[in-house]
Amino acid sequence: MLQTKLSLAAILVSVSLLSGCGDSTTTIIEKDPIAVDGDHDDHVHDEVNTAGRLVISAIDSDFVQVLALPEKTELDTFLVTATPSAIYASGDHRFAAVVQRNEDVVQFIDGGLWQEDHVDHMDDFQAEPRLMPFQLSQVRPTHFSSAEGQLAVFFDGNAATGAAAGVAVLTDADIGEDRSDYPQLSLTTHQHGAAQPRGEFLLSSLRDANSSTTLPDKVGLYHQHSDHFDLEETFAVTCPNIHGSAQNHDFVAFGCTDGVLLIAQSGDTFTASKLENTADFSGSMRIGTLAGDHAAEHFVGIAGSAVFAIHAEDAEMELLDWQPGAASAIWGYGFAEQGEKFVLLDNTGALTIFNYHGHAHSDGATEKAAFEFSAKLPLTTANLANLPAGARFQLAISAADDKVYVTDPITKQLHTVDLHDAEVLSTKQLSFTPHRLTWLGIANPSADQHNH
Amino acid sequence: MFRKTIVASVVAASLLASQVMAESISGVVKDENGQPVAGAEVSVVGENQRVMTDAEGRFTVINLLVGKAELHIEARRFGHRNFRFALPEQGLSDVSLQLLSSTIEVIDITASPFHASATESSLPVSVLAGDALKMRQAATLGDTLKNEVGVHSNFYGGVASSPIIRGLDGPRVLITQNGLDAGDASRIGPDHSVAAETSTATQIEVLRGPATLFYGSGAIGGVVNIVDERIPTDNTTRAEWLLQGTSVNDEKLASGSLVTGVDNIAVYIDGFWRDNNDYRIPGFAEAEPDADAVKGRVDNTAATAKGFTLGGSYLLDNGFIGMSYGRLNREYGIPGHAHGGHEDEHTDHADHAADEHSEEEGVYADLAQNRYQLLSELSFSSGFIRAVNTKLAYTDYQHSEIEEGAIGTTFKNRSQEARVEILHRPYQDWRGGLSLHYKFSDFEAIGAEAFTPPSETQMLALSLLEERHFGPWLLQVGARVERVNIDATDVLLPDIGAHEHDADEHDYDHGTEFIRVFDVSQRFTPYSLSAGAVWDFTEGYNVGLSVSRSQRAPSAAELLSFGPHIGTAAYEVGALFALDDNKFVLNRQPIELEIANNLDITLRKFSGNTGFVFNAFYNQIDNYYYQQNTGLFAEAGHDHGAAEEHGDEHEDELPVYLFSAADVTLHGFEAEYHWQINDPFKLTLQGDYIRARLQNGGDLPRTPPIRLAAELAYERDALSADVRATRYFKQDRVSELEQATAGYTLVDASISYRFDVGSQQLTAYLKGQNLTDQDARVHTSFLKDLTPLPGRSLALGLRGSF
Repeated sequence: MLQTKLSLAAILVSVSLLSGCGDSTTTIIEKDPIAVDGDHDDHVHDEVNTAGRLVISAIDSDFVQVLALPEKTELDTFLVTATPSAIYASGDHRFAAVVQRNEDVVQFIDGGLWQEDHVDHMDDFQAEPRLMPFQLSQVRPTHFSSAEGQLAVFFDGNAATGAAAGVAVLTDADIGEDRSDYPQLSLTTHQHGAAQPRGEFLLSSLRDANSSTTLPDKVGLYHQHSDHFDLEETFAVTCPNIHGSAQNHDFVAFGCTDGVLLIAQSGDTFTASKLENTADFSGSMRIGTLAGDHAAEHFVGIAGSAVFAIHAEDAEMELLDWQPGAASAIWGYGFAEQGEKFVLLDNTGALTIFNYHGHAHSDGATEKAAFEFSAKLPLTTANLANLPAGARFQLAISAADDKVYVTDPITKQLHTVDLHDAEVLSTKQLSFTPHRLTWLGIANPSADQHNH
Repeated sequence: MFRKTIVASVVAASLLASQVMAESISGVVKDENGQPVAGAEVSVVGENQRVMTDAEGRFTVINLLVGKAELHIEARRFGHRNFRFALPEQGLSDVSLQLLSSTIEVIDITASPFHASATESSLPVSVLAGDALKMRQAATLGDTLKNEVGVHSNFYGGVASSPIIRGLDGPRVLITQNGLDAGDASRIGPDHSVAAETSTATQIEVLRGPATLFYGSGAIGGVVNIVDERIPTDNTTRAEWLLQGTSVNDEKLASGSLVTGVDNIAVYIDGFWRDNNDYRIPGFAEAEPDADAVKGRVDNTAATAKGFTLGGSYLLDNGFIGMSYGRLNREYGIPGHAHGGHEDEHTDHADHAADEHSEEEGVYADLAQNRYQLLSELSFSSGFIRAVNTKLAYTDYQHSEIEEGAIGTTFKNRSQEARVEILHRPYQDWRGGLSLHYKFSDFEAIGAEAFTPPSETQMLALSLLEERHFGPWLLQVGARVERVNIDATDVLLPDIGAHEHDADEHDYDHGTEFIRVFDVSQRFTPYSLSAGAVWDFTEGYNVGLSVSRSQRAPSAAELLSFGPHIGTAAYEVGALFALDDNKFVLNRQPIELEIANNLDITLRKFSGNTGFVFNAFYNQIDNYYYQQNTGLFAEAGHDHGAAEEHGDEHEDELPVYLFSAADVTLHGFEAEYHWQINDPFKLTLQGDYIRARLQNGGDLPRTPPIRLAAELAYERDALSADVRATRYFKQDRVSELEQATAGYTLVDASISYRFDVGSQQLTAYLKGQNLTDQDARVHTSFLKDLTPLPGRSLALGLRGSF
């Protein structure tokens, strides 16, 4: 407002100065001033980057690129062994696991942003990205799930070679220090399974070696003893054709053909129950994908293009109307803005944003609908028929703020989306067809920051 | 007065054009012992003719004007000499011209339209060329020239350095390449490297003292001209190459150049590649090291550079016209910016996979320059116009300062320059000509440290230079007038909350603030006048005298800056602003031109077994623009290395310096003495001293300390060697907030062995620098508290030519 007034007033001062000998003339015209928010942080660029970084891969090349946010400027590019099949963030978002599934390799990129715990406070650090010496090389690394600083990597094994499945649970320290004594679980047979880390416990799918499918049907509870896990219990409640898993503060959920297996943790006690599919399920519909957030009471279950809100404690499952339009599949999903939002990225390149009101411990949250449809952002105008083979729109969610990052493989673009304002903030043109990406950074930046 | 002369000359031109030219002089050039001098160059002064003496020292020059003629003779190891003749109609034959041997290496400079060399001009000049240049070439220009008398280096941690001439640098010393502005950003920041390579240069010329007459505002302190053969003037096939490895910073250097051609076409190609790691030092980098500081290296001083030049010219009977393209890339750490780092982070970008210790990285600069030149020299055998020399350049320069992998600041300078010299035939024994000079620079700085707003500087100048012999006197006079326009459409004046540190109030208002914006257009009309004389008062000696009054328009950076400049660790505010009660406002006072009144006296002895050049100067500069410490501090908006020190709330603040004009006096002397003790041994002594003070009391910062050097050289047959000791005295004449530095002695030595392989002449050499491993802090450096000189260093090299 003040600026407008100044504009109208248009103070034009013209100063013409002539020095004694007439050999110097200065003409100064004052133009409209630039208003700056006095409360802005002068130090944004020189402190530890709070917007984080992205690690992104190309569809047909064996490199990953690290981009600095928010500008998405290229920090570095690293050659990896093969074209990455997937990229996931580590438990504390410092490292990116660069999965090369068919080569049985997981390499790690240090995103260069991390926190150190100084007991009474956390210190933030920033360094250049680098390729880590730490690698995983078990057979067919497939499902990755992270929670509370841990990353569980499920190796499917290989039916053809007889290699059995297994699980490795990594902390950021294990990756950063190139340790080899991280805890591992060796299963007896191959399976397309899933595992969820719970501190010193691990919940892993179990498959009967004689099963006709590669999908497991039971879940076992394992307890860590130094570098391995011992089976404590196999839950009696079965979960046929397990696919998809997630966890929140109190529950771990696995997707089954007949519903969702919910395992409640109370201290060292784990209790399993089944939430059956509702009447909204028809034919072969099943929940095959689950999303959870530490602070969210709800899981989100995805069955094809149908989306369900699952309240584990109340054992309720409710179909969400996400107004799919022409979309027939969901390619990206997750809780965002520290659990304030839930987003879906579909196969038309549209981003659906829900406001989420179902935080654990939040008073009166149950009064409102937990998931409130907020906005739908069509992020591409390109002809979907031009989607390169094997390419998908992909989503990376910032753990630090209200931004998500979406790739468009048709136009080779990378969008920054502000979830709060439901708008595209900026778009970067990439020189390659983007494939996978993940966000790295510090989820809760502290006041003490260190540059390296 | 001069204008009248010119008008008269032009009128006279048509009358003189018909003058008969048919006379000749033939003779022989001999030394003091009557032995013929082969390979001496005989040129006709004021004309374009140039011949070499044969094995018996004989020469013939033809087509001379009837009446008077003057010949200039030069030969290696002899003093240059002029001979004047009254020329009868039938010409002269069998004249005997005697040269006097000299211990002073005399090489003509190309940077002046006047004939000038270390022994012949009224202005002091020096030239570094040939083997001496090859032995002294360094990665940065200042370090290459630091052993020249009167020249110091502003040593910026080995990654950048500019020559300081008589205590002046920055916008007062012009760096040119083949006589045309280097077109980089080195004049506005000591951390900005000079965009010119010394390993492929054929000679580097230094003009000490005001050279505004030739080069304008930017040359009030002197000129450094880097000359190479990128536009060849002949097509005799020849090549030079150099390979060198240096221990102190693991520098590897390869460079080479080739001239060749057929018929009327001459072509040139050169290339170089340099790569070095952080350099080693005997002690700590910081003058006051932290408890956890590590000895032995200066972090973030690695650099890698490469470049090439292509040129070609068309050779005419009366001159040449040629064009060249040069590309230069350089990536170097900026040590003053360091956040830490390790030795090879910048030199090994391709090898990320193996790079497991890159958790720390400093700030580095990535520089690229494209340079196009067109040079032409045409001479005319008749008519009033003797020669027309044309020089054109287009330079596109850019460097980015990269912090934590992201571009912090980008400096761009796109410049165009044109210079046309029109030289006339001698008229009333006056020789000289007119020079028209145009320069345009579009300068831009974008980013966190863009302390200077985008600006365009335009300069147009006309100058007249004339010289004439009066008996034993040579008189040189010149005048130049120029118009300088500086336009900047977005000059910013933010409220930076500058404050004093002893006041406790840190909670200055943080409501909505306004950055004032100005469209500034500045016009200056500086002029320069100069008169000089060289008096050959007795054989083998002369006295040079030069008086000049030169004006300089302050540069865009000196006028318009407003922001943190990490290279100088200062918050810089231009002279367009003034301080009013701890707040910056527009300066309502007129912007004055800087005016230098300079007096130079040179006494030389240049023949016999001993020779010397003694030079004294007194330079009174009015309205000298310098950075005056305001006593205030402002936020850098930026932290550099200090971030880990908890508890210091001022760590991110810089002292605020305001460009102000004050009257200063600089005076000093330079002396060099050469003694050919016997055939192989030669002793050289040199020294310089400068005093730079404000007339109202106080000293200017970074004034070079007194320096004395002695060099003993041996040269016989295939072997040459030298040992040199240089004493830099302590400097305690310091400005406010500046640290005094201790004296130190540097000992350097080298040995070279020449041999032939086929048609190639090869030289293998070993050179050592700082052999006593002194911990030396360069007083003229902005980083004297952070980066001492490199420790003991050995370089092994091989160079060849054919």
